[in-house]
Amino acid sequence: MNAPTKASAGAPMQNKPSGYWARVAGDGNKMGFWFVLPTLLLMLFIVIFPLLMQLYLSVTWWTPLEGIAWYRAWEVFSWGENYYFLATDPRFWGALWRTLIVMVFAVPAQFFLGMALAYLFVDQFPGRKFFYSIMLTPMMIVPAVVGLMFFLLFQGTGPINEHLGLPSNFSWLTDVNRAMISVIIADVWQWTPLMFLILLAGMLGVPSDQLLAAKLLGGSNWQNFVKIILPRMKTVIIIALVLRAVECFKIFDLIFIMTKGGPGVQTETISLFLYKQTFGELEWAYVAAIGLTILFSLSVIAAKGLAYMAKNNG
Amino acid sequence: MSSIQINNVTKKFGEFIAVRDLSLDIEEGEFVALLGPSGCGKTTTMNMIAGLEDITDGEILFDGQNLSDVRIQDRNIGFVFQNYAIFTHLTVYKNLSYGLEVKKISKPEVERRVSAMADRMSISHRLNQPASSLSVNEMQKLAIGRSAIAEPRIFLLDEPLSNLDAGFRAYMRAELKVLQHEFGQTMIYVTHDQIEAMSLADKIAIIDQGRLMQYGSPLDIYNNPHNRFVANFVGSPRMNLIDGELREESGILKLMVHGGAEIPLSGKVKSDFTSDSAIHSGSLGIRPQDIYFGKKKKAEHIELHGTVEVVERVGPKRLAYIQVLETNFLAFDDQDKLSVGDEISFCLPADKCLAFDLQSGRRLGEMQ
Amino acid sequence: MKASPRSVVLKYFFVLLASAIVLYPLLWMVTMAFKPHPEWTTVAGLTWFPKNPTLQNFEFIFFGHAEGLVVSLDRTIVGPLIASLVTSICGTLLAVVCGTLSSYAVVRFGLAQSLPLSVLQLRLFPPLAVMIPVMVMWAFIGAVDTWWGLSLIYGIVTLPFAFWLMKTFFEEVPIEIEDAARVAGCSYWRVFYRITLPIVKPGLATCALFVFILNWSDYLLALLLTQKEWVTLPVYMATLTSAMGGQMYGMKAALGVIAAIPPVVFGLMIQKHLVRGLTFGALKQ
Repeated sequence: MNAPTKASAGAPMQNKPSGYWARVAGDGNKMGFWFVLPTLLLMLFIVIFPLLMQLYLSVTWWTPLEGIAWYRAWEVFSWGENYYFLATDPRFWGALWRTLIVMVFAVPAQFFLGMALAYLFVDQFPGRKFFYSIMLTPMMIVPAVVGLMFFLLFQGTGPINEHLGLPSNFSWLTDVNRAMISVIIADVWQWTPLMFLILLAGMLGVPSDQLLAAKLLGGSNWQNFVKIILPRMKTVIIIALVLRAVECFKIFDLIFIMTKGGPGVQTETISLFLYKQTFGELEWAYVAAIGLTILFSLSVIAAKGLAYMAKNNG
Repeated sequence: MSSIQINNVTKKFGEFIAVRDLSLDIEEGEFVALLGPSGCGKTTTMNMIAGLEDITDGEILFDGQNLSDVRIQDRNIGFVFQNYAIFTHLTVYKNLSYGLEVKKISKPEVERRVSAMADRMSISHRLNQPASSLSVNEMQKLAIGRSAIAEPRIFLLDEPLSNLDAGFRAYMRAELKVLQHEFGQTMIYVTHDQIEAMSLADKIAIIDQGRLMQYGSPLDIYNNPHNRFVANFVGSPRMNLIDGELREESGILKLMVHGGAEIPLSGKVKSDFTSDSAIHSGSLGIRPQDIYFGKKKKAEHIELHGTVEVVERVGPKRLAYIQVLETNFLAFDDQDKLSVGDEISFCLPADKCLAFDLQSGRRLGEMQ
Repeated sequence: MKASPRSVVLKYFFVLLASAIVLYPLLWMVTMAFKPHPEWTTVAGLTWFPKNPTLQNFEFIFFGHAEGLVVSLDRTIVGPLIASLVTSICGTLLAVVCGTLSSYAVVRFGLAQSLPLSVLQLRLFPPLAVMIPVMVMWAFIGAVDTWWGLSLIYGIVTLPFAFWLMKTFFEEVPIEIEDAARVAGCSYWRVFYRITLPIVKPGLATCALFVFILNWSDYLLALLLTQKEWVTLPVYMATLTSAMGGQMYGMKAALGVIAAIPPVVFGLMIQKHLVRGLTFGALKQ
């Protein structure tokens, strides 16, 4: 045998836990199986079956109105009509556009405000714990209640108009332009604390001696922030932005309570559009088609995003 | 490069007094070690010099100038952190250039100084690699180089060698000495390792519980400890310190040790103990290498008898633990002939013995 | 180093400003809950603190009528309050039990390595995009407008949080402790039950509170899957609007206050672990 042998040959990479557990994994696997079983069953129940059903319903004209059981929906088979309709439905594209508008304004606003707040709170100061708790309250309040709070604030006869010296017929929630602004303000109010919380955790994770070292080397606060703190927070920033973007895409409760998507369709985001299609128009087959399209698109985006992050971090 | 005067500095953290009325004069270009057990306040002292901590009371002057109102950024102080505080998200080059770039120094100049410093620290082959890929030893060099490149007025090092493996530590110790010479900078160095302090520093400040115990050259501190704490802390193996009651019996002053041992005092150590008549309990100090075996060579030497308990080899020599009743003496067995269980006599040269007041720890008698 | 007085003043200015912005809407709702009808709007002038504080609003939503009010309510808060409690607690139990067991199996036995990412997917999509089949299924098995139907979906949608949160807590348990118990002759179940579980108990409590907050805060799922009997607080609050013709601000505010209290209290209790929970364990504080 002249061929050089590799030292690592025969020792494949192990992804399993090391130590004692790996050696006696037999029995452990048995118990582990029973441990994962409930979750696996729930996942099967909520993923596989509904997905197939959604696929099935989305190619029919089925609605709960006509009294046909869902499994007999093939009787009203529609081929790809729902998908074709979706591609040309201005109301869907409008809703998507408005969802993006909310995201584009709310998420960066939350990010910059959250970052500024985190910078305020990164050092100790008397009363920090108290103010920190106050800062966190908005995100702990039931979103529907936040909707109610801003619904009350933005009434014509509410305190905001009074403070700004506007007449009581100056409307926010029923105005074509200001309705969207009101909704974004409410979302920023509720979710800036989340950004703040995450970014502060990230900022506190920057090793303090590195920051001191940067100061001692003569870097100004701004230089140190840009060159030391920000790059070190990269992962945290990505997590915070992705979390908020995903949640913002789903936004429903706030808007539904504040404006019901109105006036007209001025604040109708994807979730509100779907809700109205489901309960207003009762076009369940159409909603299934839209849902599946969103599901597919988001999955592709998520997969691409994960692959991109894996490439950049690896 | 500047001199530092620390005048009556006190630092309190709430009720806790970390540093108590500390005064030190550090000359321009001097290499001073702050030495003490952990928690003694040495790091706090250095942080106050750097400006990382406020001073509760007193002042610190740099060339006679008080910097307490100057921002940390503008103090121009070189600081090497215990774990180096390398910017691991940047390259080695960017680490070195940080202190220059923030001062808006022209690019060619930055490049010139970075490559010079990298050469000096022999890390130039690593310049474009991420700093996180460096070994601990290289990080140490990078940390020193990064601070040195901005030509700080003083240089502070916080236990810089404690993370290194033994071999590299010895090398780095020598290297630091050379660097200090080359930079010609005032350097202050915090350590709990007396050997490091002894071999590196021009002067050592020994601190305990926030108080300055002694400040002087390594040799002076070794030979002439001003109090029991310093005597106990400096030297390896440790000085024998025998505590007991002073009692005069039939004209002979004796140190009566707990457990029954009696040490008759004579010569210089006797006069040291009697120099203050108010002292009733004392502590006798003698370095292991000063003890010799056999009959006494001079009349004033103190002869004792005991049993060899343990013999251990320390390098070329052997260390013997000798028990006199319940009291232990540590001595070098330079002739290699003791064995465990031997009943032997040994002598303490009276002129090498140091006398301390047990209560205050103060050194008694005249200093050498 | 001492901060300059100017920067201290500036810092407190911004902190106080931020606090004021946070408290402004909250205060308006909370005081509204204690205001009688004429003070609900600014028509008769703006009042921050009720001039004639009253519990009328609370009385009304609890008993369906209140002294001095001509209107009455055919459905009080009691039913929705119970519905919210029951479904949130049951949903939490389901999520925490399943999440704890399966994350332990993933962490310690290396089973189902794809599970972490696939449960995470449950949080990616807008619920309404995937709710059609769920609604059909729920109707088919008779789960619509039942406590267990709503609890089931609550348990499923909060499972990712419970799973990831418990996963990070289990990862912090040193494997040596479990090894030692195994070597001493404990069965796997005993090790889990007697050793590991007690160690992660604080984590388990945090996880349960966190998941409870999420379930309690739901509006959409209850809106889709309940009709009358098991309507939860937020849904009830919204229906109160339409049924009363809009202007019952005080009552709605009172409802809002009641609905807001548990999550805020629990949230402050688990403040230390909020970051971990909200980022699915990706960040710890």
